[in-house]
Amino acid sequence: MKAIRAIAGIVASLSFAAAVPAASAQEIKIGFNGDLSASPSAQSGQAAVVGMQAAIADLNAAGGVLGKKLTLVVRDDTSRPPKSIQNMSDLIDNEKVVAVFGPTNSGNAMAWKHIVNQKKIPVIDNVSSGTDITKPMSAGADNYMFRVSMVDREQVAALMAYVKKGGSDAKKIGFMSETTGYGQGGLKDMKSIAETQGITPAAIEQFGVGDTDMTSQLNKLKAAGVNTIVIWAQGTPIAQVMRSMEKINYYPRVLSSWAADNITFYDAAGKNLAEKPLFLRTVSENRTPAQDKLFARVGSQLKAPSSFSFALHGYDSVMILAQAIKQANSMDGSTIRVALENLNTPVKGLLKTYNKPFSKTNHEALTAKDFVWVHWKDGRLVPYTDAFVASLTPADYKQ
Amino acid sequence: MEAIFQALISGLAVGGAYALVALGFSITFTTTKTLNFSHGEFVSSGAFIGMSAMLLLLGKPITSTTFGGAVPGVTAQLLALVAALVVMGGLGWLLYVIGVRPFAKQPGMAWVMSTLGFGVVLDSIGLAIWGPKPVVVPSPVGDSVIQILGIGVRPQELLLLCVAVVVMIVFDVVMRKTMVGKMMRAVAANGAVASLMGINTNAVMIGAFVVSSALAGLSGFLIAPITQASLFMGLAIGLKGFSGAMIGGLNNPRGCVIGGFALGVFESTVNLWQAQWREIAVFAVVILVLSFKPTGLFGSRLVEKV
Repeated sequence: MKAIRAIAGIVASLSFAAAVPAASAQEIKIGFNGDLSASPSAQSGQAAVVGMQAAIADLNAAGGVLGKKLTLVVRDDTSRPPKSIQNMSDLIDNEKVVAVFGPTNSGNAMAWKHIVNQKKIPVIDNVSSGTDITKPMSAGADNYMFRVSMVDREQVAALMAYVKKGGSDAKKIGFMSETTGYGQGGLKDMKSIAETQGITPAAIEQFGVGDTDMTSQLNKLKAAGVNTIVIWAQGTPIAQVMRSMEKINYYPRVLSSWAADNITFYDAAGKNLAEKPLFLRTVSENRTPAQDKLFARVGSQLKAPSSFSFALHGYDSVMILAQAIKQANSMDGSTIRVALENLNTPVKGLLKTYNKPFSKTNHEALTAKDFVWVHWKDGRLVPYTDAFVASLTPADYKQ
Repeated sequence: MEAIFQALISGLAVGGAYALVALGFSITFTTTKTLNFSHGEFVSSGAFIGMSAMLLLLGKPITSTTFGGAVPGVTAQLLALVAALVVMGGLGWLLYVIGVRPFAKQPGMAWVMSTLGFGVVLDSIGLAIWGPKPVVVPSPVGDSVIQILGIGVRPQELLLLCVAVVVMIVFDVVMRKTMVGKMMRAVAANGAVASLMGINTNAVMIGAFVVSSALAGLSGFLIAPITQASLFMGLAIGLKGFSGAMIGGLNNPRGCVIGGFALGVFESTVNLWQAQWREIAVFAVVILVLSFKPTGLFGSRLVEKV
């Protein structure tokens, strides 16, 4: 309720800001377009908005950007692609924002990425993790899609590096994925990176997103002698896989997509089973002092403490954009894009200090080496390490 | 071998949910020749009503997204079940009065749209009250796996299976042996004649929708601890339950339940083969059955006199 009220507050204050056009010369408008209410991922979008507001408050308190105040225009796309496209046109054509953040769902970014590339408006995705979001429309084309968040393919790269370290001969590996776009995208990445790493899965199994019993698929993996499973699915189905493992008393090593960080996974799997999978995040719940400060400010507005990582993405993404606007000394989209790709000054964010985070070809601010290995422990996401994790070097992460 | 038995048991467990939903479709069809196409949404709503009642009895707000480890006692569970049955039964009556009766006597299929629309309305109201987050509902019979000869099943799944069979038997006996059952079948066969014979057709039809919707409430209440209570849970279960009813025969309660169980077992055996082809295989079987036996495996032939 609190978060809903907070968002209602944002929307109300924004519509007020929009009603005073005289102020527009003195302000820089940025937009957020993503799901804030409809899908289970909505809590991530809400957290990103909360983080962005905190960053904007900090920047404005320090005198704004180029002497102008930043304001945020928030649009809820209710996770529907058509609504998301409509929001994008509204933000760019009516609100005249200089840059857009979001979306919450990867599919929606794919639905409108051609629009922002045509209209030359930079987008920094601070929530969704689909690999293809930041790819240019055609090889070598100017690309306006940037990201400060998790990247599916980078996670897969790290998971496969872990499997490789453990020795693909000693460990018989199996892949599992749900039959949605998210699951299939992850499975595609898993297959291709496994091939690069010289890992051959002993079995590949799939399941429906609403399934409650995966014992048939697990029995096949068991029969194939699989002792390490990589699961690519959303939080609830991963929990159902864990619950099915309990039914047939089969507990291989489980590596999973980061969706297991969602509180819905923990609730559904129950404490004992939830503590089994290892996965990657951009941050654990062991916070740095600077992160703690932000948590103290915004923590009460979050639906679940585990969604705080998105507030950090939101905060850092605004800081990076502000630096790019300063460097560009302009509100022009293509000038800002060029500045983003060649940032001269390091940006001190809350996750890390971004030293030239983007280039012409790399639009990911966070990559495999920035991620942390985590698992659930007593209801918190804590860092995980073992001999294999400790021995991983950037050279092990193959794309 | 163990894998096959596990698939059989797991299939029956999943099939129990389909069977209950299939029965719900059957009840309105055998009396009014109409179907509640939002039966799936009724199942989700039933789950949320039951969950909210339990939260209230535990002294938590109904919009809580977690039980926080608290397990409601037997009385609370039963009261919640009654709440789910009563509220959903009431909604069924409402659906009949505003969504079915005005259109049932007219030619065309306006009732299809109006029952579908009723489901959309229910979903939207549910989203506004409870939000999109699924809620883990504690099971009244515990959550620890029961192991029999290396085959695992959860107590709630066994409960669902038993309830589906019991409800089927009760319904079957009522339809065949009692006066109420005869009235219902008479209304289904020919409403005008039944009315002339002194049967209150309106009351029978309302009764059918109330019972069918209360059954949806029961299904939701029993399925929620297995799938989690989610407003999106009903759609898939509704479709599969309908498929089960089509396979077994919409006008035969025994056929509906057998169809539901058969579909569950078929799914889990397809999972043993190639899970990614499951949905295609399921609907291929539905089409195959319907093309050879248009009224389902156990359905009696419809004789329509023109």
